[in-house]
Amino acid sequence: MSLAVQLAGLRLKNPLIAASGTFGYGVEYEGILDLSRLGGIVSKGLYLEPRDGCAVPRIVETPSGLLNAIGLQGVGIRAFVRDVLPRLDGYDTAVIVNVCGDTVEEYAEVARIAEAPGVDALEINISCPNVKKGGMAFGGDPRMTHEVVAAVRKATRLPVIPKLSPNVADVTVFARVCEEAGADALSCINTLLGLAVDVERRMPRLAFGTGGLSGPAIRPVAVRMAWQAARAVRIPVIGIGGIASAEDALEFLIAGCRAVQIGTANFVDPGVYSRILAGLEDYLRRHGRESINDVVGSLRFPDAEETGGGGC
Amino acid sequence: MVATTSPRPPASRDVPLVARRPLQGPYLLLTFRHPEVAGRTRAGQFVMIKANTAADPLLRRPFSIMSVHPAEDTFTLFLKVVGSGTRALADLRSGETAGCLGPLGRPFPMPPEDHEALLVAGGYGIAPFVLFGDELRRAGRRARAFYGGRTSGDLQGHDPFTALGLPLACCTDDGSFGHHGRVTDAVEAYLDTRPGAVTLYACGPDAMLHAAARLAERRNVPAQVSLDPWMGCGVGTCLGCVVRIQRADEPRGKYRCACTEGPVFDARDVVWAGEGSSRARREAAAVLR
Ligand SMILES: Cc1cc2nc3c(=O)[nH]c(=O)nc-3n(C[C@H](O)[C@H](O)[C@H](O)COP(=O)(O)OP(=O)(O)OC[C@H]3O[C@@H](n4cnc5c(N)ncnc54)[C@H](O)[C@@H]3O)c2cc1C
Ligand SMILES: Cc1cc2nc3c(=O)[nH]c(=O)nc-3n(C[C@H](O)[C@H](O)[C@H](O)COP(=O)(O)O)c2cc1C
Ligand code: FES
Repeated sequence: MSLAVQLAGLRLKNPLIAASGTFGYGVEYEGILDLSRLGGIVSKGLYLEPRDGCAVPRIVETPSGLLNAIGLQGVGIRAFVRDVLPRLDGYDTAVIVNVCGDTVEEYAEVARIAEAPGVDALEINISCPNVKKGGMAFGGDPRMTHEVVAAVRKATRLPVIPKLSPNVADVTVFARVCEEAGADALSCINTLLGLAVDVERRMPRLAFGTGGLSGPAIRPVAVRMAWQAARAVRIPVIGIGGIASAEDALEFLIAGCRAVQIGTANFVDPGVYSRILAGLEDYLRRHGRESINDVVGSLRFPDAEETGGGGC
Repeated sequence: MVATTSPRPPASRDVPLVARRPLQGPYLLLTFRHPEVAGRTRAGQFVMIKANTAADPLLRRPFSIMSVHPAEDTFTLFLKVVGSGTRALADLRSGETAGCLGPLGRPFPMPPEDHEALLVAGGYGIAPFVLFGDELRRAGRRARAFYGGRTSGDLQGHDPFTALGLPLACCTDDGSFGHHGRVTDAVEAYLDTRPGAVTLYACGPDAMLHAAARLAERRNVPAQVSLDPWMGCGVGTCLGCVVRIQRADEPRGKYRCACTEGPVFDARDVVWAGEGSSRARREAAAVLR
């Protein structure tokens, strides 16, 4: 029985990847869990320079979800390459750098520096809702999306994985633009733009005002978007959004995703990977499948006979 | 910002509840079995814990470790029920499990040999001082506590602390128990008796911590404060718990994670709400001038 998957030229030992911004730089979890159990790790978003991020409060809980406006606080790409990468060296897991920028040039420059020994792929963050420049402003405009992805593509030989924003009307437009610009895979999705109001103070509950919604609350939206994207392009899609169990991961895989990322669930329980891996193996056993790849894209819609031929 | 590896990392486990003791009002004591927390905790550290695997409420919550019992592999929390996460913990029955990660965070540093430790607690802020009082006593240090609440019912940590045999002065805002007035006033009154060298330690609501920090500055005594921000992960990855810290040599304050670099900070380094800089920075600037 095999959980290994191929993706954008990478071979991952299993389809579970830690999502950007929810797993630090990986090293924070040393000793708490075995990093070599993960298919891959995506770093926190990295710019050229260190960033201080948004004011507090930065995180509030909403029903089955988490609304955050961290604002991409981070150490910057150079400190990551110098201080963090060597510490990840001993682990058998793919290292993916989440590339950020205020300008197209900055994305390309971060990508160039990120092409260091030990980095396996780049994820392009064109979808962060919590920054005034870059982020979602790029990922919400097909022309800008093309420009950023093409610039990063030119700057690196590493696999390039744009991360799509759910805050658009038609995700397939952006999926196709990324494919045309030379992307090797897609990450789908980042957080949904939200607003939570403190009714006593009549002010936003987050200091930044709006924030990005994650966690189980967004899963059906995320599965739908990943499914749409996977049907629109030939490159593989990595599903992200509200995964906390093997069943949740399977929803994305069956809908057509080659791998998945786990975000908010890392905060809830760092032991989540072991539980999901055990659950995936159990699923393959119960369904008599040899490989997780046999499950990918196996979603089937009932035909008219099965549904009794309803009206809509 | 990148956390350094601790030689003794925290452990994530499903922990069974072994004892539950309701106190008055919204307070209770909960004891769980967790060998690493029982064996490794230093006073001031905390756990992230959640009663069940439901999606709502979603995240684990932070709680100071009030006492440890290494022989039984257990630790005890002093809990005040304020919302759905604390409610779910309070509703656990013996044998039921909770997801728990710990021990986490920077503990209280020991005071200098010749200092008396003044432990200033508000509400559930007494919890880490039960363990710290025990550590101080075992180390042969002098210590006493000042414990404040709105009303007598809020001083439910009185018995666990006095069981240590250390002096405890209680204060209530309404005068229903102990001194009538604020806990920092009681500390100030004690300092007026010229007790010799002291180090302040404070844990409680923000306003009390800030008052304790101002008192320490006025009286020129060292102070450590245990901050109480909202926490999402406990290990430095969600960046939700950051507080403004400015050391003497830093021209600007920096957001630092309370979960990994705190929750205990030197009060001089904290940039308090409504203040533009830290005491450490102001003092350094004054020396330069
Ligand atoms: C390091 C640390 C140690 C702590 N130790 C203890 C302890 O020993 N005993 C104890 O009872 N509690 C302790 N707390 C506070 C405890 O974590 C919160 O009360 C708990 O998270 C509330 O969860 P809830 O789901 O019940 O409430 P929620 O529904 O999340 O919130 C209920 C109300 O409490 C407020 N609130 C929530 N979290 C906090 C917070 N961290 N600080 C101030 N107000 C908050 C909310 O704004 C809301 O008004 C500690 C917190 C920290 C950061
Ligand atoms: C606190 C927090 C910080 C995040 N930071 C980043 C980031 O730096 N870069 C990025 O591309 N996505 C970031 N994300 C989005 C996640 O990687 C993920 O796409 C999203 O949370 C949905 O997945 P989930 O529901 O499993 O959390 C962040 C999410 C959270 C909750
Ligand atoms: S609680 Fe998540 S970074 Fe501190």
